Amino acid sequence: MSPRAKKRFWNGVQVALILFAAFLVLLPIVWIGMAAFKRHVDVFRLSFLFTPTLENFARIMESPFLIHEKLFNSMIVALCTVAFALPLATCAAYGFSRFRLRGERIMLVMILATQFVPAVVIVLPFFLMFRDLGLLDTRFALVVVYTAIVMPFATWMIKGFVDGIPLETEEAAMVDGATRLQVIRKVVLPMAAPGIVTAGIFSFIIAWNEFLFALILTRRDAVTLPVGLQLFNAEEGVLWHLLAAAGLFIMAPMIALALAVQKHFVKGMTMGAVK
Amino acid sequence: MRDRTLKYVLVLPGVLVVFATAVWPLIDAAALSVRVWKLSRSSTPGAFIGFENYLQALESPDFLYAVWNTVLFVVLTVSLTTALALGLALLLVKGGTLRRTVQALLLLPFAMSPALVGVSWRFMFNPEFGLFAALFGAIFPPLAHVNWLATPTLAFTALVMADVWAWTPFMTLVLIGGLAAVPQETIEAAEVDGASPLRTVFQVIIPQIMPVLAVVVILKTIFAQKAFDIIFMLTQGGPGTATVTLVFYAYLNGFKYYDMGYAAALSWFMVVPMIALTFLYTRFVFRR
Repeated sequence: MSPRAKKRFWNGVQVALILFAAFLVLLPIVWIGMAAFKRHVDVFRLSFLFTPTLENFARIMESPFLIHEKLFNSMIVALCTVAFALPLATCAAYGFSRFRLRGERIMLVMILATQFVPAVVIVLPFFLMFRDLGLLDTRFALVVVYTAIVMPFATWMIKGFVDGIPLETEEAAMVDGATRLQVIRKVVLPMAAPGIVTAGIFSFIIAWNEFLFALILTRRDAVTLPVGLQLFNAEEGVLWHLLAAAGLFIMAPMIALALAVQKHFVKGMTMGAVK
Repeated sequence: MRDRTLKYVLVLPGVLVVFATAVWPLIDAAALSVRVWKLSRSSTPGAFIGFENYLQALESPDFLYAVWNTVLFVVLTVSLTTALALGLALLLVKGGTLRRTVQALLLLPFAMSPALVGVSWRFMFNPEFGLFAALFGAIFPPLAHVNWLATPTLAFTALVMADVWAWTPFMTLVLIGGLAAVPQETIEAAEVDGASPLRTVFQVIIPQIMPVLAVVVILKTIFAQKAFDIIFMLTQGGPGTATVTLVFYAYLNGFKYYDMGYAAALSWFMVVPMIALTFLYTRFVFRR
């Protein structure tokens, strides 16, 4: 083979491998997505051809599933989590970024460590605490836990963005007579805004997808979407078409949000270890 | 407000929240782990029994099997994810329309909640109408009409496959970030010297992305050790105890058998490797 033909051959192999990888990534998502629009009988056929129906989406809103209530719970809990966590995280991030603190390194390592503790380890004390307080099966309990879960993560992310704001801009404002708090409000916050929004989106995704705490801390009233998926394990077997329809509700907003933070994705998820 | 006070006012609430989520539960779990407490029989902790719960774990075949499953799961998913992600990253790093589009697609599995991934894969492996069950059956005839999730080894395999599927895209994105920072000249120099592509990858590219590769391996190890949602939804630890990992074993003991003291002791077995990994990881975060 001539060098050119050889190069074209290998290029073709690469493209084929890339397409195959894309196929593997998409297949389960497309397949479960399609099941959401299938009638019950079509779910049992291994075919990409079927008559689509929207019936499943209506059915999952009815008793005993009432998925719209779970959707509402998920939405409220995730939004409240973001609303509580972001101010806390932004303050802490600014503090860590701009000041030398005693025990700073240890605090930062601890913050990082929280991300690595298996949820099973911390769910037990939380379960017992909420039981004693009579707060089991409330959205409030979930918001408290999720705020605690996403706060460290958000702090790390926002700190990364604040680190990137040149000190001179702040100093210039201070020379003009602004106080530190004014500087934070008028100079730092607007400049760190993209970072804060990104951290907010990440926090929303984490709270939205969280499963173990929601499984253990809720029973009936505060059940969120991922836990609600279990409702479709009926006596006559799993109701796959309905389950897929509910799955689509979980997935669709997350896909939109993940695409929105695409640019900061890797840095956020590795907590700054990879830029 | 003076800066000296302000800095602590800013940081303190955050640090307290972190303390409340990581340190307090661990101390609380430690306090519980030295007591006998069956929640089904008593709603308050019982007598002090020293390290009885820890010894019970070390003597329990179920615990040791869960440790073995965890090690196997971590080793398999970490090595497969890293290898596949590296391969895919090398394929995609060149850029261009096709590669960028596929790169954007890689975000999709991340957007799926792990619980939903587990459910979807259970759907795919359904013996009667599961797409994967059918595909694998067509490729390897002995596997046709086999119920994957009811066969211990195959259930474990399915679990590993689902986890690798969920994590490879993310790790690929991380590695693409690392590869993009490799100076093009070093690769060209190797090509001019007549090195084969494979040699270029192993002797020029990989040594240069070692730090990023290490981050991928450590992160995936942590995530694999933590995996719960996907196991809960895909196999429920079954068939039997074939896919019960440490995390799932602790869950079963705490929230199925309501043995709070024992479950608390089990969590401490997970904390030790976790702390080691965290310190390893901080070396990469603070390197600068």
